[in-house]
Amino acid sequence: MTKLLEGIGISHSFGGLRAVDSADFHVEQGEIVGLIGPNGAGKTTLFNIVSGAIKPTSGMIKFKGEDITSMKPHQICHRGMARTFQITKLFTNMSAFENVRLALLFGNPERKIGRKEAEKEVNQLFAVMGMLSDRNKPVKEMSLAMQKRLEIVRALATNPQMLLLDEVMSGLTQKELIQSMQLIRQLRERGITIFMIEHVMHAIMGVCDRIIVFHYGSKIAEGTPAEVVKDPTVNAIYLGK
Amino acid sequence: MLISTIFSKRKFTITMILLSIILLAVAPLFAPPYAIISLITILMYVILTLSWTMFSGPTNYISLATAALFGVGVYTSATLNDSLPLIVIVIISGLISFLLALLIGMLTLRLKGVYFILFTFGVTALIRNAIQWWETHITLTVGRHVTSPGNDTIYTYMVVLYSLTLIFIFLLQNSSYGMALQGIGENEDAAEHIGIDVTRIKVIVFALSAIFMGAAGAVMATRWRYIDPNVAFNPLLSFLPVLMAIFGGTWLLGGPILGAVIFTLLQQYLITEYPYLYMLLMGLTLVIVILYLPGGLLTLVMKGYIWLVIQWAKTKWQWQVLTTRWKEEWRPKVSMWLAQWRLRWQWRLGRKR
Repeated sequence: MTKLLEGIGISHSFGGLRAVDSADFHVEQGEIVGLIGPNGAGKTTLFNIVSGAIKPTSGMIKFKGEDITSMKPHQICHRGMARTFQITKLFTNMSAFENVRLALLFGNPERKIGRKEAEKEVNQLFAVMGMLSDRNKPVKEMSLAMQKRLEIVRALATNPQMLLLDEVMSGLTQKELIQSMQLIRQLRERGITIFMIEHVMHAIMGVCDRIIVFHYGSKIAEGTPAEVVKDPTVNAIYLGK
Repeated sequence: MLISTIFSKRKFTITMILLSIILLAVAPLFAPPYAIISLITILMYVILTLSWTMFSGPTNYISLATAALFGVGVYTSATLNDSLPLIVIVIISGLISFLLALLIGMLTLRLKGVYFILFTFGVTALIRNAIQWWETHITLTVGRHVTSPGNDTIYTYMVVLYSLTLIFIFLLQNSSYGMALQGIGENEDAAEHIGIDVTRIKVIVFALSAIFMGAAGAVMATRWRYIDPNVAFNPLLSFLPVLMAIFGGTWLLGGPILGAVIFTLLQQYLITEYPYLYMLLMGLTLVIVILYLPGGLLTLVMKGYIWLVIQWAKTKWQWQVLTTRWKEEWRPKVSMWLAQWRLRWQWRLGRKR
């Protein structure tokens, strides 16, 4: 197993608030890793640091062995990391199709993609995700579950090796939840490593190989779902038993 | 949805672009000289509004640097006047504006929202005052005289510039860069994370749009004949393109053109007819348009067009209803009635005989 993503001593403060406090973590090739923790634990901040949206105050992020700490989001994207957002950030005045096409055209700078070819590939992506019939819908008319799924399609269009999923399961119905879990397993089968933030405990327990628990910006526990559930500190702080 | 699907048809846009260019090209054949002069001014505003919309329309970055980018063209033209042929001057002015916009873009496009607006406006004031200082302290001139090649030549230049701006903006909107700009306008974070180099695209398009502003400035300098920093860098030229674009509607190519044309015509009409109430009436019109037509005048045109289409369909349908009724109800009745009368007459005639 090789380390695909590695964070070494990551810290970030917003003014006086230390959102992430010297956190060390890693994600291995082909893994599904969950990141859990109470609200305000610094999970999304960590994702923003990893994806390049904000620069950490100190520490280093390595992706595929390369230092990406000071890179811009688009450069990190071109190196094979894609993400979704906690509050969906779609291009709402475009159709679903156009959202994905834009990601396809700009997420693969090493390839020159023609108009026809792009259309074919976008349709393929929608077909794989079971959204083919919704591809011409305006984003505004889509349900939350569909929007979250569309964000994953858009992220996939950039041909990532690693996908950061920020609460893709929150606010979904039971049926949609099961679909989501299946989807995440499918993505792993396609060779995509997944790092996900989630609050829905049974979903994350069912799908993850390893779980990292965050509290006040630092890692307090790490292990397989079974180990994390038994951990006394995690129980005290987060699971509340 | 309906409105945009009717009007975003590529063929329709291309036809309209070509039609407007042809009309403008043949205008000197039948239009009186004063109309040509008025058209030059209108074309100036159209070019400025179009090139402003090129960048600010999709991205929602309201740039107030138009006056600076235009003024630099004006000043380059005034300085180089007579030493070079006009076409070379226009190209050089465009390039200088491009370089200036590149610099402004690199400095400001990290800024967002109101900071960007204020910075671009500040840059305009800075350049105006710097040149004024240079003129009064170093070259010891207040203004400059510019020789004019004649209104017909100026008009030709403006039509060519208009065509180039329109064709460029059309190609841009249909390219991947155009889509990326729209993405940036809708959600810059998302655009960055799907691999769009947002800063690069913003700076490049901003700089490209400045070429047309600078070139238009170079031509207009020869139209005005005498310029000084206050004419060249008139701050109103920063605001007018914004107002005109909003007035017309920024969401399609036709909007800014319509806005600029109607706005300029309205301005000229009000200034001559109601010189004292001019500003008041202008402001009132703007307020009404912004309040009741948030999509600009274009919405009105489109609503009108759709109304016409619907009316046409309605009349067609009513005509069909009438004809079928005639065929199925009235014609049998009438023919029956006629037959009855014929029989009666025949009977009557027969009896007489």
